[in-house]
Amino acid sequence: MKPEQEIIPFPRGRNSFRGAVGRRGCAIWLARLLVLTWLLLPCGPAAALALQEQVHEFVLDNGLRLLVVPQPTAMTFTAYLTLGVGSVDERDSNRGIAHFLEHMRFKGTHQIGTRDFAAEEPLLRQLDDVVTRLQRCEQEANCPPQRLEALRQQVKQLERQHRQLVVKDEFSEIYARHGGVDFNAFTSKDLTTYLISLPANRLELWFALEADRMKNTVLREFHTEKEVIQEERRRSYESRPFGLLYETLLATAFQVHPYRHPVIGWSSDIAALRKDQLQAFMERYYQPANCCIALVGAVEPAEAQRLAQHYFGGIPAGERVPPVTAVEPPQRGERRVQVRFQAEPQLLVAYHKPTVPSRDDYAFDLLSVLLTDGPTSLLHRRLVLEQQLVTQVSAFGAPGGRYDNLFVLHLVPRHPHPVAEVEAALYAELEQLCAVPPTQQQLDRARKRLRADHLRQLQSHRGLAGMLTHFQVVTGDWRYLDRYDAVIRSLTAAEVQQAAARWLKADNRTVVELVSQEAS
Amino acid sequence: MNRRGIRCALRAAVVGLLLFLPSDGWAARPDAISLPPLQERWRLPEKMQLDNQVPLYLLTDERVPLVDVTVLLAFGRSAVPPDQSGLVELVAEGLRSGGSLKRRPQQIDEDLDALAANLRVDSGPYSIELHLSLLREDLAAGVALLAELVQQPRFDAERFAIARQQLQENIRRRADQPQGAAQYLLTRQLYGSHPLGQPPTLATLATFDLEQVRAFYQRHAGPAHLWLAVSGAVDAGELLPLVNDAFGHWQAPVTAVPLPPLPPEAAAESLLVDRPLPQTTVLLAQRGIDKDNPDLYAVQVMNYILGGGGFNSRLMREIRSNRGLVYSVYSAFSVGRRLPGPFVAGCETRNDQVAEAVDLMRQEMERLRTETVTAAELELARESLINAFIFVFADSHQLVRRVMEQDYYGFAPDYLQRYRQRIAAVSAEDVRQVARRYLQPQRQQLILVGAAESLHLPPGGPLRQVAVETLLSEVPVVSP
Repeated sequence: MKPEQEIIPFPRGRNSFRGAVGRRGCAIWLARLLVLTWLLLPCGPAAALALQEQVHEFVLDNGLRLLVVPQPTAMTFTAYLTLGVGSVDERDSNRGIAHFLEHMRFKGTHQIGTRDFAAEEPLLRQLDDVVTRLQRCEQEANCPPQRLEALRQQVKQLERQHRQLVVKDEFSEIYARHGGVDFNAFTSKDLTTYLISLPANRLELWFALEADRMKNTVLREFHTEKEVIQEERRRSYESRPFGLLYETLLATAFQVHPYRHPVIGWSSDIAALRKDQLQAFMERYYQPANCCIALVGAVEPAEAQRLAQHYFGGIPAGERVPPVTAVEPPQRGERRVQVRFQAEPQLLVAYHKPTVPSRDDYAFDLLSVLLTDGPTSLLHRRLVLEQQLVTQVSAFGAPGGRYDNLFVLHLVPRHPHPVAEVEAALYAELEQLCAVPPTQQQLDRARKRLRADHLRQLQSHRGLAGMLTHFQVVTGDWRYLDRYDAVIRSLTAAEVQQAAARWLKADNRTVVELVSQEAS
Repeated sequence: MNRRGIRCALRAAVVGLLLFLPSDGWAARPDAISLPPLQERWRLPEKMQLDNQVPLYLLTDERVPLVDVTVLLAFGRSAVPPDQSGLVELVAEGLRSGGSLKRRPQQIDEDLDALAANLRVDSGPYSIELHLSLLREDLAAGVALLAELVQQPRFDAERFAIARQQLQENIRRRADQPQGAAQYLLTRQLYGSHPLGQPPTLATLATFDLEQVRAFYQRHAGPAHLWLAVSGAVDAGELLPLVNDAFGHWQAPVTAVPLPPLPPEAAAESLLVDRPLPQTTVLLAQRGIDKDNPDLYAVQVMNYILGGGGFNSRLMREIRSNRGLVYSVYSAFSVGRRLPGPFVAGCETRNDQVAEAVDLMRQEMERLRTETVTAAELELARESLINAFIFVFADSHQLVRRVMEQDYYGFAPDYLQRYRQRIAAVSAEDVRQVARRYLQPQRQQLILVGAAESLHLPPGGPLRQVAVETLLSEVPVVSP
């Protein structure tokens, strides 16, 4: 289904309440992996819970969509504000812009984050101008070193002056004061989401602050934030074997479609982005026409509708994000890449496949369960328990869902088995899968698992808010969730087998292998 | 306009007049809104007892037709000698995948799969916890299966061999993740020869066999070491007889769980794992506090201001927001439930910026020790912790587990009831006092994982390089 990779502006869960029993939890990396897994898990709704009966939907004249799910016993609510703009909407000249903007839209507005905007505005213009000249000088081979140094000094000095007028991270401060937790955002290939959970009586505060963010964002501290994002890139991609492998996989499997580029951008993309590009991109798309809000928890639908109208109703619609026109041509032959890194071997194997509304997309949700979900799944049983070639095997769809995507398998070989042996064993199992349809019992269990996993996501306010906004943006209608179960039930064993046979072919495959680099 | 609307409009107008300078016209700030009072409805779990005195906690939540069950066994990693580190992890894995006396492992796998149930088993310093999530309609089958695993585990030999191989592979991969390598060293530095200081290595995994795993479980597992927590679409009338049938007749004597005292804290050192990475992972750490420490609340407020409050903390503001040196920087006290847990401050930064980042982290700690925090900072920290408190009630299963664990570890019965009051009572002077007591940069261990050749080192003692092989296979020192 619609898995995605997300990039967040700071590690999750540090500013939430932790009583003495709360655990600090595992490493940040693990925490992020968990979040990732949450999104990568295939999911499907249950007939038992028709969302249609729970979701109150309102669409304002400017196109902003509001989805409210009241939960009467709750004292808190979760808000997801999702913009259908992601890195897939970028072009070569502005790669990394969606994620960069996600960071910058935490910096405040005309009133938030400033001591005196009238005094700040001219200084900010001056600073932007010098930063642009500095960027240009850094790019030009023949820019004299003295000039470079002078510009750097000038930026530093203006930044110091500017800081006098800034109220640091004031959005975060206001929300924290009001008991907000999980104040964060993420950018994926397909969309950008701002999220928070608040005590029930702060609903109007949320509307007021988020409407102000949509109308009046001021892009402050651009130059410093660029360095923060470079550190984020080093941390999430350049220092972690899986990050490197995944980035390489997308850049290899896709040659034409913008799904090939990392959400965060390549390092040189981040360095080259200019603030005026960010400003223009934001004014165009970060507007009601591309916006879907989900509120789940202690929220009264009529009140939410009134507040949405009051705070967002007067904002001009903005421009709908145009569809991506690039189409990835069919792959003609296996692609194979090695990544050298000082770490133990790992393997990613990916196949192109269609996205929704293709029935094959649903078939791959079932295939994913049949192949890797739990100890009885085909690959776990064969490769982990019987042949003991790998310690882990997992499957997920990637990197987005608005456009045709990939079915990816991740395998962790067990020493001393070489990757080639693991690959051969994997392909033997996949061949079998393409040749023989699953049994009725296998199919029934996979369906039940999809239904249960879906319910598990509905257990939390965040899970539900995330699903509603995600599927609204990716499929164009959150009711996809309600129709899902019927489609899954209607898929026959033969269809599942045919989908496997159609896409799990060597010529349609991309293989990325981590090759251990010896310590120097 | 309804009554509330009129009230809001009036208040907004008044606030606008009183508080705001007309620099941007007369527009009121977006946060200048008067909010209705919060209606609090606490939902606390019911506490029951099985026939054999095993405590059972239940929080009914009918929203989704699922039930979550947690079985806590009151023994964990601190109960095995350090040279057998890994034994408890393999007990946990044996419970999950090793089958029962009645059903072979593969049968258990099949039966769980037929229920679309998720079973996870975690091991901690003082407990092993089994978590089962399943559809409401499968509750009886799920509880019966759990009871079988807990009371009659098979610890199948073949599955044991697989689990040990997998743990070995994970150890071999420990240095692949800079965070993993750093955490490992930190644990060893802080807790030394104590069981809490010895994560498993290839050497410790070779010191015990399946019989020792079985014997360990046999010694400690019994109703006196059993706690149960359930949440979801089930009520007490249905649950209690069901759970009592499954767990209430269990009789098995248990041996008390040893808890050796901590050895003295090791002298501060700086350690480096040399990896060819563009960025260095930095950890600064010392032993912190346990749950019975009366400074608990002041420490939480102090840590919020230092590095626990996200963007509202000093570390984040100075090192990320002002200087752009890091993406992530934080500090945390992990409150030990029996012995003091670690205090850790960490970040990741480009190799050549390490000295600057470490220096800034130390400066911020020093500043909290010597200068009193501002009234505004103190108020923000307290208000944030107090107002976010109600999120304790947001997740039913987290809540029921929390209340069960509070009883298991012996928290004051009014811990939740008085939490906000105690945070509100923390003063600026309290904050300075606990900063002096628990933040001692000169006593902290420094762990670095990054590229030695481009590293700019912070001042301080000499740097000891640690070879990756050490992370994998070192044999621990056993305390006399």
